[in-house]
Amino acid sequence: MPILEVEGLRHRFADGAPALSGIDLSVEAGEFVVIAGPNGCGKTTLLRHLNGLIPPRTGRVRVDGVSVAKDPARARRMVGMVFQDADAQIVGETVYDDVAFGPENLRLDRSEIHDRVTAALAAVSMTHLADQRPHLLSGGEKRRVAIAGILAMRSPILVLDEPFSNLDYPGVRDVLEQVLSLHRNGHTLILTTHDLEKVLAHADRLVVMGDGRILRDGPPAAAVKGIDAFGVREPRASRQGLPLDSWLS
Amino acid sequence: MAELTAFGYRSGRSLLHRLDPRTKLISLILISIGSLGAGISGLAILLLLFGAALRTVHLSLSAIIREIRYFLFLLAVVFLTRALSAPGTPVWSVWDVTVTREGIYEGLLVSGRLLVVVLWGLLFVAVTRPSEVRATIIRLLGPVPLIPEKRVATMFSLLVRFIPVIAHQARETGEAQRSRGIEARRNPVFRLTVFAVPLMRRIFQDADELVIAMEARCYSEDRTGPDLSWRRRDRIALPAVAVLILVIRFL
Repeated sequence: MPILEVEGLRHRFADGAPALSGIDLSVEAGEFVVIAGPNGCGKTTLLRHLNGLIPPRTGRVRVDGVSVAKDPARARRMVGMVFQDADAQIVGETVYDDVAFGPENLRLDRSEIHDRVTAALAAVSMTHLADQRPHLLSGGEKRRVAIAGILAMRSPILVLDEPFSNLDYPGVRDVLEQVLSLHRNGHTLILTTHDLEKVLAHADRLVVMGDGRILRDGPPAAAVKGIDAFGVREPRASRQGLPLDSWLS
Repeated sequence: MAELTAFGYRSGRSLLHRLDPRTKLISLILISIGSLGAGISGLAILLLLFGAALRTVHLSLSAIIREIRYFLFLLAVVFLTRALSAPGTPVWSVWDVTVTREGIYEGLLVSGRLLVVVLWGLLFVAVTRPSEVRATIIRLLGPVPLIPEKRVATMFSLLVRFIPVIAHQARETGEAQRSRGIEARRNPVFRLTVFAVPLMRRIFQDADELVIAMEARCYSEDRTGPDLSWRRRDRIALPAVAVLILVIRFL
C-alpha cells in the first residue's frame, strides 16, 4: 500500500484563481520523489495539503491509509515539513529549545524529549551548537536545525519545500548530505525545487508540475528530457546525453 | 534593538548556573527591592557581591561595561542632576552652579540603586537559559487566575526569538531606502511611513508563515511543561539572599 495517496485534488486560491487542478499522486514508503516546476505552479499548495495545513475541499489525501481531512493531527505527526524560509520555522530561543518544540507539542516526557533532541541534533551534526541562538547561525545551519526539529518528531515522511534556496555552495552540499542520509535511513522524502541540477542525480522519481497539474511523472533520467518546455532548466549532463551527476562528487 | 539581546545566556557549570531558575528570579526580585531601601554601605555590599559572583561565572567586567555604556551615561546624567540641584552644604561652586555634599550623596544613592538592579539583572540573564526563564514564568504564573501561563510563555519565547530577526529586517529596509536616496527627503512623516509600511508588511507576512509552521509541528497549548527541580542548594541560597537583604535594609 502506498504511504501517501492523493486523488483528484483540486484547490482554488481565495481570489478564485486555480492553484491545483486535479492532482493524482501516490508515493511508496522509502521513495525519494523530487517535484519540480516553475514558481507559482502549485508545488507549495500541494505540499500543504499533505499534512492537512490546507484541508482538501475536492479530492482526497491519505497518509498511510488514513484520510488527512479526518485526522489532521495524525497527518502532522506522520508528515514532517521543512519550510522554504527556515527563519520563519525556527521558534526556539536556542537550537535545543527549537528542536524540542515539536516533541513538547506531542506531550512526551522530559527524558524522552531530551533523548529525541540529542539524537536529532547528532543526526544533523549540530550537537556543538545546541545552546546557540538561531539568528546567529548560517543559512545551511538554520536549515539543518529545521530538519532536526522535524526528525525529533520521528515523522516517517519528510517534505522539504525548496531546501536549497538562498544557500551558498557549502550550504547546499551540507543540506544535500543530510537529505541523502535521511533517505538511507528509510525516510520517505518529497522535495520540491526549480533547480534540478543540485539534487536530481539522487532521486528515485521526478514529478513535473505546471499550472496546478502533474505534467510528467517517472524515473529522473527519462522524465527530465526536454523539461525546459515546462519552465525548469534541464541539467547540463542530461542535455549532453551524459548520466546525471551529483553535487557531492 | 539588536543590542538588547547581544548580551545573552553564556553556558557554564557554575553554582549560579545550576541554581533553580525560580531561586534566581526570586533572588533578583529581592535584591531589586532591597536595593531600593539600601544606603550607600548596603549598595557597596551588593556591588562587591556582584563582583564576586562575576568571578565565579567567568564573565569579564569589560564586557559588561561595554554592554551598559549608554546606561552608564544615563547614570552620569542622573548623578549630575542630583548633585547640582539638591540644596545643602556647598562643596564646590562656580558662578551660579553649586555642588552640594547632600547632592553628591543623593546622586550616588539614586544612580547606585539603578546600577545594582541592572547589573544583577544582566547577571541573571547571563546564567539562566531563556527556556528556564520561560519555565519560571509558567510556574510562577501558574497559581495566578485568569492568566493563561502557557500562552504567555509561548509569547515570551517567540519575542526573544524574533526581536533580532525584526531588527535585522528593519536594518535591511533602512539600507534599501538609503541606497535609493531617502536622506534627500526632509519630511520625517514621509520617511517614517515609507519605512514602516514595508517593514510591517514583511513582519505580518512572516508572522503568518510562523503560524503555519507552528501548526505543522502540532502546536497546542496542551504541551509538555517545564521540568524544574528544587534542590538543597536552592533551599540554602534563597534564605541566604533574604537574610542578606534584611541586613542591608537595616544597615
